[in-house]
Amino acid sequence: MITVSERKTMKNIFYNDMEFTIVKTGSTWDITRKLPNGDFAVVGAGLFADLPDSDAEARALALIMTIFPVGIKIVGPDVAHPNRVGDLKIVGPDVTHPNFVYWEKDSTSFARETYLIKGTHYANQR
Amino acid sequence: MQIKGSVALITGGGNGIGEAVAKFFAKHGAKVAIVDMEQKNIDRVVKEIKDIGGEVIGIQANVTSEAETAKFIKATLEAFGKLNIAVSCAGIIRDGMMLSLDKETGKVSRKMGLDKWQPVIDVNLTGTFLTLRDAAEAMINGGWEGLLVPISSVNKVGQVGQINYSSAKVADALMPKIIIGEFLMRGIRNIRCVGIAPGYTATTMLTGMNQDVLKALLKDVHIGRLVEPDEVAALIGHCVENGAINATTLEITGGLCYPNGIAK
Repeated sequence: MITVSERKTMKNIFYNDMEFTIVKTGSTWDITRKLPNGDFAVVGAGLFADLPDSDAEARALALIMTIFPVGIKIVGPDVAHPNRVGDLKIVGPDVTHPNFVYWEKDSTSFARETYLIKGTHYANQR
Repeated sequence: MQIKGSVALITGGGNGIGEAVAKFFAKHGAKVAIVDMEQKNIDRVVKEIKDIGGEVIGIQANVTSEAETAKFIKATLEAFGKLNIAVSCAGIIRDGMMLSLDKETGKVSRKMGLDKWQPVIDVNLTGTFLTLRDAAEAMINGGWEGLLVPISSVNKVGQVGQINYSSAKVADALMPKIIIGEFLMRGIRNIRCVGIAPGYTATTMLTGMNQDVLKALLKDVHIGRLVEPDEVAALIGHCVENGAINATTLEITGGLCYPNGIAK
């Protein structure tokens, strides 16, 4: 579920396991992402000028979901470094591959409580 | 094409030349999408551009991945509604000799492995191809005026110890001619392609190196100093606004010469 709490021109969005804030500044919108240390990083600034609030919010959410997609990355076998048992080559996952994700450490998709809406996982509100 | 009001996508925009290009475009009124592998670098550059009043998004992505390339193109269009400029700055080096010889026997003792070859080709050549291909697709389908900018290097001439890097960069330098030839044949007139081949540039990769080695490098540079990233960015900005520059790769080296005085 996506939860939105409204405070005038600012909205908090909990998407997957991350917290985003959408802030209207003048006629444009900024999107920030909460970091593990509590600070906020700017995802985008000066966006969606002069759009109606509802359109801007919908586009902000779509942009967040594009930049931070839900899902796991599939990593192929590490054929260059097989473990050998006699003549037998045992090929494990390529943990040195840049796309390898340690599920509980690296993944932005590691939601604590999730359920399925129209084929997409969203996290519950914390 | 005017920079002001255009939308620019810069891969490798989290540091070095890419960061300078992103800030240059933002200062001159373009909307900027920054792509990089390092989220911390993205966060820093996006914040700095926001602080100067720029319109910007940051996207973490691997340029060697088709899926991630599609992701950052889509994000750019979702944020800004169009795409006009794509600068492929993402690049890496893994220097080394193709073959190393044993000093005593004269026989080959070591070979450059695919671990040094393939990542450099993947990022510097395949990554550039994917970025320019998908950016061109968006520009053609959107009907927007566009400029594609592969970043080559003066070492496209063939640098010993960089068979991987030089091979990729000479291919990058050739892309503008092939792409524009294809566009001409297809009747695509709204997109230009200009490569940029910097010489020794004052990025952290060079400024952080051994200073004696750096001094030795600068002996071969006519202006006696490194090229500044801002100077490379300004050249790209000029290419945006000068519609006659097309289907070529421009060098910006400060007059880099071979030790015998012949300019590279």
